[in-house]
Amino acid sequence: MDILLSGLLLSGTYALIAMGLNLQYGVARIMNLANGEMLVLGGLAAFWMYTAAALSPLLTALIAAPLAFSGNWLLYRYLLLPLVRRAKTQGQLEVDSILATFGMSFALVGIMVSIHGEYFTYSYLAEPFKILGQTVALNRLVAFIVAIGIGGGLYYWLTHTYQGTAVRAVSVSTEAAGLVGINVERVSAFAFALGGAVTAVGGTLISTFITLEASVGVIFTMKALIIIIMGGVGDIRGAIVAAVILGLVETTVASVIDPGLTLVAAYVIFLAILLFRPQGLFGRRA
Amino acid sequence: MLTIENLSVSYGLHRALAGVSLTVNPGEIVVMLGANGAGKSTLLRAVAGICEGGATGHIDISGKDLLSRKSDEIVEAGIAFVPEGRGIFGDLTVWENLMLGAYSKRAQRAKDKNLKWVLELFPKLIERKDQIARTMSGGEQQMVAIGRAMMANPEVLMLDEPSLGLSPLLCQELFGNLSHIRETGMGVLLVEQNAKQSLAIADRGYLIENGEITGENNAQAMLNDPAVQAAYLGAGAAKD
Ligand SMILES: Nc1ncnc2c1ncn2[C@@H]1O[C@H](COP(=O)(O)OP(=O)(O)OP(=O)(O)O)[C@@H](O)[C@H]1O
Ligand SMILES: [Mg+2]
Repeated sequence: MDILLSGLLLSGTYALIAMGLNLQYGVARIMNLANGEMLVLGGLAAFWMYTAAALSPLLTALIAAPLAFSGNWLLYRYLLLPLVRRAKTQGQLEVDSILATFGMSFALVGIMVSIHGEYFTYSYLAEPFKILGQTVALNRLVAFIVAIGIGGGLYYWLTHTYQGTAVRAVSVSTEAAGLVGINVERVSAFAFALGGAVTAVGGTLISTFITLEASVGVIFTMKALIIIIMGGVGDIRGAIVAAVILGLVETTVASVIDPGLTLVAAYVIFLAILLFRPQGLFGRRA
Repeated sequence: MLTIENLSVSYGLHRALAGVSLTVNPGEIVVMLGANGAGKSTLLRAVAGICEGGATGHIDISGKDLLSRKSDEIVEAGIAFVPEGRGIFGDLTVWENLMLGAYSKRAQRAKDKNLKWVLELFPKLIERKDQIARTMSGGEQQMVAIGRAMMANPEVLMLDEPSLGLSPLLCQELFGNLSHIRETGMGVLLVEQNAKQSLAIADRGYLIENGEITGENNAQAMLNDPAVQAAYLGAGAAKD
């Protein structure tokens, strides 16, 4: 029961992070291997503002979101769009974007190390809280609630508004989207920027209960990838289910076997999905 | 009015269109006939701004230059295109597909009027509005595709082999519907293998061979032209 609860709480933030990568990969079609670094940047901002100005990470998230949005928009517009325009096929774009963002992830790690080379240790709402007869850390609960709020809002926007529907249309087919008059490059840039902002906010939330450091981003990139591949690219509901599975498995393995094995467990799920259900849990994309 | 002058398209070294000229007037149905690989799809895709090849020449709609514009700008200028294989948003609902058809500014202005039109033409779409488009039958998907294109409020509607994969009965229904579209004043540029049925509803026709226009006439004359009968109406003409 205890494991179940903390696993669930963890998966809230995971789902949010996966939503960010889904916007970047599913809509803008950029396989962004620097996604985890964006998350760590969010965590660094939270750490920094908290230790320097005693600012709540929740307020930092409000500042980090527009900054990450602008930064990612510029990144898409000036680094990635030329690759998109040049690529003749989706496969070629995937190779190009993986190379470009993989390189970028090292650059970002280097910058963060130079800013703060040690663990981003701070303590925010690290107090026990009783819920459903269980005790959980308050920061985990708060992060969960905020992540669910943002993720839910985003889901509603994507599925119930006209502009959100246009974003989904681009994710289904860029060619068909252009043929109804959607400016695909503009929507893709927006989706990439929004995905980056969501990821950075996820990072500020996660930093309240997991101690991050500059080079840990790649682990979160992998987690987001696992969730997306498990859930099916572009499938938001699939990503949520996948996030819950990953959160539960990680928490179970960490508390029942060994905390050091969480990544191994995640990787085993990843391999199993790749081998047996490469189209995702619900097989939306054949 | 859509005007194409001296349009050439090459895929690398392969020249798929060589100096094609044609026009589509308001309220007119123009059909283009040609064998497989003649360059019909290439022509429509070049006009719509989604052709992979390099294009030269001149394309304009009512004075607005279209060549080398992006597809969304071409929609805004007044062209709607239903590509081969329909190109609907399979993961979205019928209703979302129709609404997205009216995404451009020119379409937003006339959205209510066009929606009324589309639903009158395809009343079935009303009861199916919440269905995921890819789960519909081929004929129903074609209705979604044509309905969505009409929602774009185009001056000229282009269709690439809309009858492909439809049963004879559905084909008949489709061509009946297309002949109604003319009443809105929209021009229609239709690429078809089904020469007989398409010429029957068309005003004019073009023949295209190896990337060049080899014949142009009014539809009735084309139906009666022995050369056309031999090449495109073979089976049909023999039966009658
Ligand atoms: N993307 C492409 N790259 C290279 N060559 C192409 C491409 N698209 C078409 N072609 C070539 O251009 C020529 C014309 O093709 P197009 O698709 O326009 O023919 P079509 O008249 O539509 O034929 P069909 O009736 O079979 O649909 C063909 O020889 C085809 O192989
Ligand atoms: Mg064709």
